[in-house]
Amino acid sequence: MSAADKIIEMSNELRWRLGNEFHDEITEGIYADAHEIVAETVTTDSRKGRNAADIAIDKIVTSKIWGFPIMFLILAIVLWITIIGANYPSSWLASLLLDTIHPALKDGANYLNFPWWLSGFLIDGVYLALAWVISVMLPPMAIFFPLFTLLEDFGYLPRVAFNLDYLFKKAGAHGKQALTMSMGFGCNAAGVVATRIIDSPRERLIAIITNNFSLCNGRWPTQILIATIFIGAIVPSVFSGVAAVAAVIGIAVLGMGFMFFSSWALSKTLLKGEVSTFNLELPPYRPPRFWKTLYTSLIDRTLIVLWRAIVFAAPAGAVIWLISNIDIDGYSIAYWMIHALDGFGWLLGLNGVILVAYIVAIPANEIVIPTILMLTVLVTGIHAGEGAGVMFELGSASETGELLSAGGWTLLTAINLMLFSLLHNPCSTTIYTIYKETKSFKWTTVATLMPVFMGFVVTFLVAQLWRIFFQ
Amino acid sequence: MNLSNPIQNLLLFAALALFLYLFFRPVNGWYWIIKNNLNSNRKVVIEDLLKQLYTSENAGTLITTNDLTLRLKYKNHQIIEVLQEMALTELIVLAGDQIQLTPLGREYAVKIVRVHRLWEKYLAEKTGFDKSEWHHRAEDMEHRLDHEATNELAVKLGNPIFDPHGDPIPSELGNMAEITGSSMVNLPVNTLGKIVHIEDEPDVIYKQILAENIHIGSQIRIVENTNKRVVFYSEGEEFILAPIVAANLTVEPLDAASILEEDAVRLSSLQQNEMAEILGISKECRGESRRRLLDLGFVRGTPIQIDLVSPLSDTKAYLVKGSSIALRTDQAAKVLIKKLG
Repeated sequence: MSAADKIIEMSNELRWRLGNEFHDEITEGIYADAHEIVAETVTTDSRKGRNAADIAIDKIVTSKIWGFPIMFLILAIVLWITIIGANYPSSWLASLLLDTIHPALKDGANYLNFPWWLSGFLIDGVYLALAWVISVMLPPMAIFFPLFTLLEDFGYLPRVAFNLDYLFKKAGAHGKQALTMSMGFGCNAAGVVATRIIDSPRERLIAIITNNFSLCNGRWPTQILIATIFIGAIVPSVFSGVAAVAAVIGIAVLGMGFMFFSSWALSKTLLKGEVSTFNLELPPYRPPRFWKTLYTSLIDRTLIVLWRAIVFAAPAGAVIWLISNIDIDGYSIAYWMIHALDGFGWLLGLNGVILVAYIVAIPANEIVIPTILMLTVLVTGIHAGEGAGVMFELGSASETGELLSAGGWTLLTAINLMLFSLLHNPCSTTIYTIYKETKSFKWTTVATLMPVFMGFVVTFLVAQLWRIFFQ
Repeated sequence: MNLSNPIQNLLLFAALALFLYLFFRPVNGWYWIIKNNLNSNRKVVIEDLLKQLYTSENAGTLITTNDLTLRLKYKNHQIIEVLQEMALTELIVLAGDQIQLTPLGREYAVKIVRVHRLWEKYLAEKTGFDKSEWHHRAEDMEHRLDHEATNELAVKLGNPIFDPHGDPIPSELGNMAEITGSSMVNLPVNTLGKIVHIEDEPDVIYKQILAENIHIGSQIRIVENTNKRVVFYSEGEEFILAPIVAANLTVEPLDAASILEEDAVRLSSLQQNEMAEILGISKECRGESRRRLLDLGFVRGTPIQIDLVSPLSDTKAYLVKGSSIALRTDQAAKVLIKKLG
């Protein structure tokens, strides 16, 4: 036996004699030493550690009486400012990009004698999808994210996680998921990035996979439009506004329900082997650094997400234009796709147009409604819009409603579209972000397919029950 | 197929859902049963028999073919066949109805025990599986890990000596630490001791122990021991167990000199406005969770008090080294403190 082997053998023998707990003892020794060194060398200004103002604020925002009302009020205000405030820059951007630049580009292309297919492909396809995504997506994000980041910077958000932790614990999740979920109301891709604040691997995966159940900015307008047209119409006109708002809020709350349910189910099945820890630091409050926050939230969150959306929207615009303009046997590809999916769509209480729109508009939920309108015109032959493959929106909700009714829509179609808009695969930007964050093909697939599968089941059940009871 | 009748569609859906449930439900789903049957080849049967023989011999009881057929889920003829094969390969000696392990068989059995306990240690330290699942998962894994993979695993875990239940893990050469101590039911009233082992079989009793939140490594004092019940104090709480449950807890008696933390209580019992000092973290807090608590300053000697209570009560924020850190009740139960003043 060589000398080295002897040493190894002796070390093994000695290790054995050290006993079971020496790892812990060494670790605790190191921490205890560090603690002593800190106590000797670092002087702190107050022995209490926390200042009176912090304690006073904490007493209110985590109190049994005020904790929850304050939370809901702040969330409601943030969402309200976002939705209302985004209208103005959105319509301004839309009139610039869609109503001014788009025709100008077309004219330019005509002047340069572009063949019709080239200008259609580039301007009606690629450019229009880009313009649409930017004008609908940018303003709400540019308002929502800074507001959210200010709250974060102030130190209020960890208190929300603290208040709600018990509910999330019941679902096998982390209290901080309340924050990533709220962030998801702005944008699911940003919500997925925000899950970095959860340092426990299992709870982080849960938060990533279930973020899609937060109704994002791209889906609020769809929900509001459809609720206004169809839900508002079934009650006396005095209440139609209230009914539409209630329906949209109902969908958002339903989304939270699905989020809790699937969090619970995932933590009990697929994810039960992932490491799980919990801790939540409640940092001291501090005045938000307004300009810095504004800058970082625009750069880090808004622009990164917008850029990803643009990268995906351009090819989608091309695809939308191509399937509407390439004919096979006298009909466009879109026509054949719609035809093939009509039966399945009917079974779900939807229709082929909606399913095709969700397939081709995967880059951004924002272009689902324009695509649906364009495809409806394409299959019904109604005279509206600007031609095959050119997405459009109508000036008023009632015009849109007439077009959709002509496309065969009923109240059931509208309700199931609202449900399917909540429960379908994440947009490609979010899917890509999930892959970037998890680095796992498996979890990306789960996160992509689970919601759309749930959407199929839910819309199917609603459609069958509807047909039994109301038809 | 015509799918225009909604009632028929719903019935079809219900049938499909039922079928999927029966197929994939945990434990008894058909999928798992089929998978297990495919896996239960000859090697698995041999290893299960060896382990059964090994535990019985260690407990000092002789075992017959009959006992084996009762204890293992395999078919009788399968067990008889495998036993004969094992006798031929000199893993066991058949003497009439009685079965004994040969040294070779013993060595083999120890290797399986090593994999089983190492895997339980791995599950406890590196994964998030619940305690109640460790045993079943290790039962499966012990047949699958080869010699080299086992050694790699041991190195990765820092060559542990005990598994999370307190069972000694055999070394590569088959050496094992001794368990000192005796079953709780054998201890007289007023014994001071430390729980060193929690038996994880049978399942029913282990689940009861888990439900009581009894922690391995905790110090105890017996206050009552009759054939009706065993009562003991530990970490500031009182535990009342049926003797059949207490029999599965092994306690190492301590002399008065080595008792350091008799007034230790769990952090979960701390009330608002009480001051306390941290004594340590329970052995039940393992892996990533344990390191995280240490990182945050939950070390011996640190003063601690409650800072905030969440409106839904379960989560509390504690003031540690000037920062406010929220923990859940089940975690707080694994931090030991001494109340001051």
